[in-house]
Amino acid sequence: MAATLIHQPESATVATDLAFETRGLTKRYGSIIALDSVDLAAPRTSIGLLGANGAGKSTLIKLLLGLIRPDAGDARVLGRDIRTDAVPIRAQVGYMPEGDCLPADATAADFVAHMAEISGLPSRAARQRAADVLYQVGLEEERYRLIKGFSTGMKQRVKLAQAIVHDPQLVFLDEPTNGMDPQGRDEMLALIARIHRMLDISVVLSSHILDDVERVCRYVIILDAGRLVAAQSLEEPGQVGDALFVRIDGDPAVFAARLAALGVEAELGNPERGRDELTIPRADAAAYDAIRDAAADLGVPLRSLRARTRSLEDLYFGNVAHQRGPDGRVA
Amino acid sequence: MSAPGAAPTAEPRFGEVYDRGYRHYEGPRHGQASSVWALARYSMARALGFKKSWTAKIIPILLYVGAILPVVVVVGVTAFFPAADVMSYPEYFSTIFLLEGIFVAAIAPELLCPDRREGVLPLYFSRPITRLDYVIAKMLAAAILTLTISLLPAVILWLGKQLLTGQPLAAMRDHLGDLGRIGAAGVLIAFYIGAVGLLVSSFTERKGVAVGIIVLGFLLTESLSGALSVALADRPPWDQWVILLSPSRTVFRMATALWGVEVSGRMGGGLPLGAVIGVMAAVVAVCCGIVAWRYAARD
Repeated sequence: MAATLIHQPESATVATDLAFETRGLTKRYGSIIALDSVDLAAPRTSIGLLGANGAGKSTLIKLLLGLIRPDAGDARVLGRDIRTDAVPIRAQVGYMPEGDCLPADATAADFVAHMAEISGLPSRAARQRAADVLYQVGLEEERYRLIKGFSTGMKQRVKLAQAIVHDPQLVFLDEPTNGMDPQGRDEMLALIARIHRMLDISVVLSSHILDDVERVCRYVIILDAGRLVAAQSLEEPGQVGDALFVRIDGDPAVFAARLAALGVEAELGNPERGRDELTIPRADAAAYDAIRDAAADLGVPLRSLRARTRSLEDLYFGNVAHQRGPDGRVA
Repeated sequence: MSAPGAAPTAEPRFGEVYDRGYRHYEGPRHGQASSVWALARYSMARALGFKKSWTAKIIPILLYVGAILPVVVVVGVTAFFPAADVMSYPEYFSTIFLLEGIFVAAIAPELLCPDRREGVLPLYFSRPITRLDYVIAKMLAAAILTLTISLLPAVILWLGKQLLTGQPLAAMRDHLGDLGRIGAAGVLIAFYIGAVGLLVSSFTERKGVAVGIIVLGFLLTESLSGALSVALADRPPWDQWVILLSPSRTVFRMATALWGVEVSGRMGGGLPLGAVIGVMAAVVAVCCGIVAWRYAARD
């Protein structure tokens, strides 16, 4: 996805509809290319950053946070240049790293308040905000306990709390469900969804788990071996397949012939369900009318009518396979 | 239940439940200097064991007691025997230097090592501070903490001595020069040993290793300085310059030079104050530079 970077004058707040944008962003570690000329324009929504381990997800996040420097290319976060405005950017974003990053012998309340102070909040406001966000992530009772006594799920919640305590506009979550049991994972994903939908904070969820992204995100960026293979909305029409599957009580061949007479091409059978269904490969609004009219003309009841949806899994494997080619190697 | 995020407005009724909701923060936000100071404050509290178990507090407490003990003894003896000159200021600084060294060996690793070991650094560096800000905050914390043991007891000693005279205010006015020298010595010592402690601590994530290296380094430099001093006894002025390899003798020479006390050649009596301060400042600058380099971004 090509993107044009908008160069704007410096100001305290830069108005932009984009969470971040990159142009030719490249990062190398010796001979290894961690990120290869990535062009992106990610909207302010819940964004899934999807890819296998080593795909370049964490590298992209670290570049956007200004934690590491790009070897080539440009990037802007919330309209600001990562090379020149790293500090103002970090005042407006939150970051939840993948690995352990919490002091063992501090209480959750103290540490989260400390992180708020580092982000510029006055001491009293920092303590109040820490109490509020720890309540939001479900750690109200435990906030005065030492972090070393916390379970993995509780630690993940503390990490999430410190990432949002300063009320950022955008939060980067690097593998937030790592090491969590199914229930903890469910709760964490619900929290993340809540952060975006109710708190109006843009979220970048980096994960190698398709289901996590599918459940939380409205936009997906897929990386493979450092290359961008897809960046698109999970809600746009192209994501929902354009095929229709129709089941009727009656002869499918007769129904298909009637549809053809009404100008709609239909195939006998459904590759997923067998031959008792009709498949309409290219369905538009007129196709629905034709199905209704054909059923009425032939006097046959409609048993089911459903659109084929492509899952994120289809999208991921389709794009990654396309990127890698038939031998599995990166083209 | 009230609306989400809404603050209670009417008279609260007993047992009423409020949805605290989530409120965006619209209050003031301070700049980088405030963030640096917040980090320095937090680091100092952690190093002294605030809000930690008593085992984390015991060593700093014992060291503070150790530093204040000579002051109590000197002031106490002076109270009963006004004519007795129990301990001069240079002797005092020389006496408690070992304690100051142990103090730095205890707190400097605490300032830096846990952040590396527990992986907290990415959290700090993803906040609106630079890596240099982080280093400055840690240096500030180390300097302030070391000042509490290198300067504060000495100021109390000065105050005690003046209060025991017949006319305290006049005595204070007459001995303002001593107070200035105490300030200079305290600051120099704090930066000198604080910087060395941070340098060592920046190279390891294990506090025990850092403490061991600081103690070992202290013993080695003292021994080396002593041995070279003897070996170069017939090659002045090198026999005096080599005392600057020894932190304790460097501090002793700095203090004696500040108060104009004559000392033997083997204790660096021939070294000018400016040279000693210059060497101490150079040590501070090199140590700080290396610590800043250690935390600089490397991709």
